[in-house]
Amino acid sequence: MFKNKYVLTTSMVFIILSLILVGFSSTVVAQDKKLKAGFIYVGPVGDYGYTKSHDVGREYVEEMFPWLETFIAENVQAPDVESTIDQFVNNRDADVIFTTSFSHMQGTISAAEDHPDTLFFHCSGVQRRKNVGTYFSGLYQLYYLNGLMAGALTESDKLGYVAAIPNSEVKRHINSFAIGVKEVNPDATVHVRWLNTWFDPPAAKEATQSLLEIGADGFAFTEDSPTVLQTAQENGAFSFSHYNPMYRFAKEGTLSGQLTNRGVIYADILYKVYYGIYTSNNLKNVDYWWLLKEGAVELGAKRGMKINPDYIDELKSKTVEVPYLGKISVYDLVMKRLKQMKSDRVTFDPFIGPIKDREGVLRLKDGEWATHDELWTMEWAYENIKGPWPGEPKE
Amino acid sequence: MRDKLPFEIKKRQNPSGLGVITVSFFALLGAFLVASIVFWAYGVNPIQAYIVLFSGAFGGIYEISETVRRAIPLMLAGVGLVVAFRAKFWNIGAEGQLLLGATAATWVALFSPFPDFLLIPGMFFFGFLGGALWGLVPAILKSKLGINDVITTLMMNYIAINLILFLVQGPWKGKHQWGFPYTDKFPESAQLGTIAGTNVHWITLIVGIISAVLIYFFINKTTPGFEIRVLGSSPSAGRFAGMSYVKTSLLVMAISGGLAGLAGVGEVAGIHHMLRNPSELSLGYGYTAIIVAWLARENPIAVIMTSLFFGAILAGGDTIKISLGLPFQITDVFSGLILFFLIGSEILMGYKIRWSPNND
Amino acid sequence: MIESWIIGTLSRTLAYGTPLLLGTLGEIYSERSGVLNLGIEGMMSIGAVSAFATAFLTGNPWLGMLVAGLAGGFASLLHGLVSITLRANQVVSGLALTMLGLGLSGLFGKGFEGKPLQSTIPNISIPILQDIPYLGEILFNNQNPVIYFAIVLTPILSFILYHTSIGITIRSVGENPAAADSTGINVWLVRYLCVLTGGVLSGLAGGYLSIVYRPAWTQGMTAGMGWLIIALTIFSSWSPVRGLLGAFFFGALIHLSFRLQPWVSPGLLKMMPYGSAIIALVILSLGKLNRKAGAPNALQQPYIRGEK
Repeated sequence: MFKNKYVLTTSMVFIILSLILVGFSSTVVAQDKKLKAGFIYVGPVGDYGYTKSHDVGREYVEEMFPWLETFIAENVQAPDVESTIDQFVNNRDADVIFTTSFSHMQGTISAAEDHPDTLFFHCSGVQRRKNVGTYFSGLYQLYYLNGLMAGALTESDKLGYVAAIPNSEVKRHINSFAIGVKEVNPDATVHVRWLNTWFDPPAAKEATQSLLEIGADGFAFTEDSPTVLQTAQENGAFSFSHYNPMYRFAKEGTLSGQLTNRGVIYADILYKVYYGIYTSNNLKNVDYWWLLKEGAVELGAKRGMKINPDYIDELKSKTVEVPYLGKISVYDLVMKRLKQMKSDRVTFDPFIGPIKDREGVLRLKDGEWATHDELWTMEWAYENIKGPWPGEPKE
Repeated sequence: MRDKLPFEIKKRQNPSGLGVITVSFFALLGAFLVASIVFWAYGVNPIQAYIVLFSGAFGGIYEISETVRRAIPLMLAGVGLVVAFRAKFWNIGAEGQLLLGATAATWVALFSPFPDFLLIPGMFFFGFLGGALWGLVPAILKSKLGINDVITTLMMNYIAINLILFLVQGPWKGKHQWGFPYTDKFPESAQLGTIAGTNVHWITLIVGIISAVLIYFFINKTTPGFEIRVLGSSPSAGRFAGMSYVKTSLLVMAISGGLAGLAGVGEVAGIHHMLRNPSELSLGYGYTAIIVAWLARENPIAVIMTSLFFGAILAGGDTIKISLGLPFQITDVFSGLILFFLIGSEILMGYKIRWSPNND
Repeated sequence: MIESWIIGTLSRTLAYGTPLLLGTLGEIYSERSGVLNLGIEGMMSIGAVSAFATAFLTGNPWLGMLVAGLAGGFASLLHGLVSITLRANQVVSGLALTMLGLGLSGLFGKGFEGKPLQSTIPNISIPILQDIPYLGEILFNNQNPVIYFAIVLTPILSFILYHTSIGITIRSVGENPAAADSTGINVWLVRYLCVLTGGVLSGLAGGYLSIVYRPAWTQGMTAGMGWLIIALTIFSSWSPVRGLLGAFFFGALIHLSFRLQPWVSPGLLKMMPYGSAIIALVILSLGKLNRKAGAPNALQQPYIRGEK
C-alpha cells in the first residue's frame, strides 16, 4: 500500500519491539479468533479527503494483519454515534472501535460506559477513560515545510489559504504555514478565507478565485476535496496535496503536500490490542500524537514524490539566511528541516519562540517550544496572516 | 395518451381506513421488491436485509427506543407543519425554526439568569419563542407584502445555519472545547433526562404527543382553528366572512415555527447538551418533517404514526448500513423508493378502479 | 481597483451562476406547466455522476454533457409518472426524487471517486470581442462554452414561453388545465414535456459542475445548489430573463461573500446571499415591481379530467 519505505520500517520496528515485549511477558495465548475492528467515519469514504485518509489506513492494516477483520460505517453524525457503536458491538461483535471525528466524542464516551469490555479509540479526542484511548496525527510540520516552499516561490508575495472551520487544528495549520513563509520571505503575506464547512467544492472554488483576484499565486488549504488545487492549476498558481495524494488531479500545480499514513497508527494500536498489551482497562493514558518522527504523516505531492520535480530547480536556486544554518538554498532548508523533525531526537519544530501573534502579543518566549496543549488550543494568528480570524484573542 | 386506459377510475368520497392500510401495505411491499434488486446487486440476500431492517427498528426495547429517538424531532416539527399546510402556508423552513429553537434554548441554558429549577421550562418556553419568531418573518412578509413563502422560509433556513455557525465560532464559543466551534456544555440542570438505557429524552416525547393532540383539537374544535381551515381552503371566502388573513397567517406560523423550535430544544437539551455545527445538530429533521406531515395527510394525530414510521425507516436503514456493511447511500435509495410507492399508490385509495377495456 | 473588483466579480458570477441558471430555466418550464419539482438536487447529482462517468470512460466531455441531460431527463420522468399520471403530491414526490437521486448517484459513482478527468470542456476566448473594454474581459475572455449556451438559451426559452403558441399552451396548462383540455390541448403530454425539459436542464447543470466547473465526482458535490434553484425560480417570478438576473445576482453574492471577508465577518457574509434575496423581494414588492409575481394558478395541482 505505502511505497514509503520509512513508514514500513517504522511500523515493522514497532511490531518487532512489541513482539519482544510480548515475548518477555510471555502471556501470548494462541488465538484463532479474528480481531474485529469497526471504523466509524464522519463523512463518505469517497470524499477524497479526511474520511478517505482514514479508510486508506484501515485498508493498510486489513492487508497487514491476517488475524484482523474490519468493517466501517460512513456518514455517521454526532446524534447517531452511540447507536452505531451499539450495533457494531451487538450485531458485529466488534472488539475494537475507532471513532474518527472530534464530533464523535460525546457518543464514544457514553457508549464506552455501556460497553466496558470493548476497546475504543477516538481520533482527535481529548477525553479518555479506561477503555477509551485517543490518537491523532498532526500535519502542522508539513504545512510549515510547504510554507517554506510557497514563500520562496511566490512572485506576488501573496499566498492564499482556503480554510474550513475555524478550530484550533486549522488555525495551527495556517500559523505553521505562515511561519514557514515568513522564514524564507519576510515580505510575503498569507491571506485567509473561511468556508465554514469541511466540504463544499463550489465554495472552495469561489474562495480560491477571490484570492486569485487579489493577486495570490500560491495556495494552501483545508477542505476535503482537490478543488483548491485544481483551481490553482487552472490559473497558473501552485498548491499542495491535502491528506491524500492529489498530484494526479493537477500535475503542474501540485508543488508538494501533506499526506497522512494513518495505517501506521492503526497498525500499532491493533497489534497491541491483539497481543493483549492494550485492554479495556488500561487505556486511560493512551494517547497517540504522532507526527513526522513516527511516520504517521509524510511530505509529498504524492507518495514517493516529496516535491514536484518541476519546482526543484527553482527551490535550489533561491537562497536564504537562516540562523545556525547560514546561507542555504530553500530546497536544502526544506530537506534539513524535514530531517530534523523526522529524526528520533526531534531538533526542530515550527513553533519555537520567539513567536508573536499579529496583535503583537508574545505567544512563545525566545527558545520556548509550544507544548501539546498549546498546540491543541491555539487561537491566535501569526504576524504575516491577513484576513478574518473568528475567535481571535485580543490579549 | 389521452386517458385511453383499459380501466376506469372513479373517485371515492372517503377512502376507508382499511383501504388506506391495505393499499399502503401493498405499496410498501412493492418498494421492498424493487429495493431487493439493489440489495441483491450488493450481494446481500434481500430477505436477510429485511430481517435486519425490521430488527433494527423494532427488534427489542433498545431498537424501538432508537426509532422513537429519531421520531421525536420529526413529530414536533411535523405537527407544526400540519398547521401551516392546513392554512396553505408552504413552510419549508422547519429546519431553520428548529435551529432557532435550539439557539434560544442554548441562550437560556448558558447565558440567562434563570435559576436552576426554571432552566428546562425556560428552555422550552424560549425555544418555542425562537422558532415562532423565525416563522413569523415569512408570515409577515407573505401576508403584508405578498412575498412567496417557499422562498422566504427556505432562505431563513440558510440564515439560521449561518447564524449558529457565527455564534459557536465567535461570541458563544466554548472555553472548554479545545478550540472546537461548540458552546460549552449545558449545566446538568439544563439537560433532559432520558429513559434509562436509551437515548429517548422522554419529556420532549411527551411534549410532542401532547402537542399533536392539542393541535388536533385546536384545528378541529376552536374558532381560530376553523378560520385556519377556511382560509386554507378558500382565502376569499374567509375574507368575505370577515376573517383576518394577516392575523391567521401570523398565528399559524407562530405555532408552526414554535413547535419546530421545541424539536430543536429537545435535540440540544436531550441529545447534544450544547450548541454545535448545525449539520451535526439536525440531520435534516426539518426537511424530513415535511414528508412526515404530508404522509399524515395533514392530520396532527396521524403525525405521531408517520413520524414513528419514518423514525423506523431511519433506524432500520442505519442498521442495514452498519450491520450488513452497505454503503450509506442505501438508506437514501430505500427511503426514496418507499416514498415513491406510498404516494404513487395514493391514487388507489381515493379512487375505485374498474376494469373496462372499451373505455374511450 | 474598482475595475478589477467589477470585472473579477462579474466574470466569476457567470461561472458560478451558470448551473443555477440552467436549473432555474428548467424549473421555470416545469412549474409553468403546473408541476413543482423539488427533485432538482437529485437530478443534478445524477447528471453530474453520469456526465463524469461518460467523459471519464470515453474521453469526450461533450458526450458527457449529452448523457447528463439524458440522465437528468430520465430521472425527471419518474417525478412525472408519480405526480402527473398517478397524481400524487408533488412536494413529496420531488423530495423522494432528491433522496433517490442523491442515493443512486452515490452508489453508481463509487468507482469514479478520486479520479481526475483528463478531458474537460476548455474555456475559450473570443477574438476581437474579448478586446471590448470591460465587457470583453467579463464575457468573452477565458469563459466556458457552456456558459454561453446557458445565456443564449435564456432569450430563446423566454421567447418560446411568451411569444409562441407552444408557450401559450404551456402557460394555459399551468394556469387552467381544465380550460386547456377543453380546447383540445393534451394536458398530460404538455406537463410531461415540461417536466422533461426541467430534468434535462438540471442534468446539464450537474454535468457542468462535474465536467467544467470542478472536474471531479464526489458524493454531495452539488452542495445544495438544487435548493437555491427552487428559490430562484420563485425569485424570478417564473420568467426566464428574470431567472438569468436572479442566478447571476446570486452568483455575484456567493463570490462576494469570499471577496469581502477581509472587511466583514465570514459568518455574517455567509448569511448575506440569503438575506439579500429576502431584502430584494421586499424592495421589489414595495416598489410594486412584483405585480406579475403570482405563481402559475394550477401549480401543485394534479390534473384530473372532469373535475375542476
